[in-house]
Amino acid sequence: MSSENIATTHHQNEEVAWQGGHSPFNVSYGKLMMWYFLLSDAFTFASLLISYGALRFSSPTWADPNKVFSAFPGMGHREVPLGFVSLMTFILILSSVFVVLAVIEGHRNNKQGVMKWMFGGILGGAAFLGCQAWEWTHLIHEGMNIWANPFGPQAFGMLFFLITGFHGFHVFSGVCLNIWAFVNTANGEFGSRNNGYEMIEKVGLYWHFVDLVWVFVFLAFYLL
Amino acid sequence: MGQHILDDTEYRSQVRAVWRATLWLTIITIIEVGAAVLWYELYPTGNRFLLNSFFIGASLLKAYFIVAEFMHVKYETRALTISILAPTMFFIWFIIAFLMEGESWGAMRTWLGI
Repeated sequence: MSSENIATTHHQNEEVAWQGGHSPFNVSYGKLMMWYFLLSDAFTFASLLISYGALRFSSPTWADPNKVFSAFPGMGHREVPLGFVSLMTFILILSSVFVVLAVIEGHRNNKQGVMKWMFGGILGGAAFLGCQAWEWTHLIHEGMNIWANPFGPQAFGMLFFLITGFHGFHVFSGVCLNIWAFVNTANGEFGSRNNGYEMIEKVGLYWHFVDLVWVFVFLAFYLL
Repeated sequence: MGQHILDDTEYRSQVRAVWRATLWLTIITIIEVGAAVLWYELYPTGNRFLLNSFFIGASLLKAYFIVAEFMHVKYETRALTISILAPTMFFIWFIIAFLMEGESWGAMRTWLGI
């Protein structure tokens, strides 16, 4: 078939697609609803991060991230500006990659492959949470909490714990979903379903969204 | 939706695309952190307008790689992509309105002492 023919067929299909009978988006109901949930969640995170921006613009001074986030576990008082948070970012990106690979293995009905990469994704998520626990503990020891902040305005500490906490809660629930998907894969539940491993895709979408939000949390708190 | 089993060629090209996106995400993050630390060492009190613009652009590029490749939007139908991305246009208003609001609070604090 020539490329022109393919284009015509595609065009006709697009018109027929909206006349009922099947999904014009070519995705299942579950995946579409996961997308719309994530869209609404994106607005929740945006409202938090934009509040951070508004309060920062209203404040004559602000905390310097290079000073606040300069500790690294096991390095004592040596200053490593942004070192630890870069490691956390890398862990979360890798974890996201592992889950994409699990989704691809799911498209091949390869149960062992899905389990292997999903396990990697769970480990990455757990490692990220561990890092965040260390960072929070360290900053609380330094005297930063939701009422006080030795590095600058109180709003900085408050928003830091609120926003990274809300993100951490998403990471935590994502890890729980990944564990659930891992167990169900191991039990052979998805292998026997009509839509196969589609649940891995839906859980995966949520997990990548957590990574996506981290890009902007990282931007707002650590870079700008 | 019917299941589509990947053949070897599709499988290999998808895996390669994922690792390529990973490489980009890693490189962009390293450049961002490098720029932040270098700027802090060289010009701790300099004007950050260009640096911040770079950070925002680089983060949007990272977001593109995550959404397009990891979340698979690049391979979805046009209609679905528009239905997901069009509502995010509200962010433009959202950001401008609230940053202006913050600026105005700041001005009231500084000039009026409220």
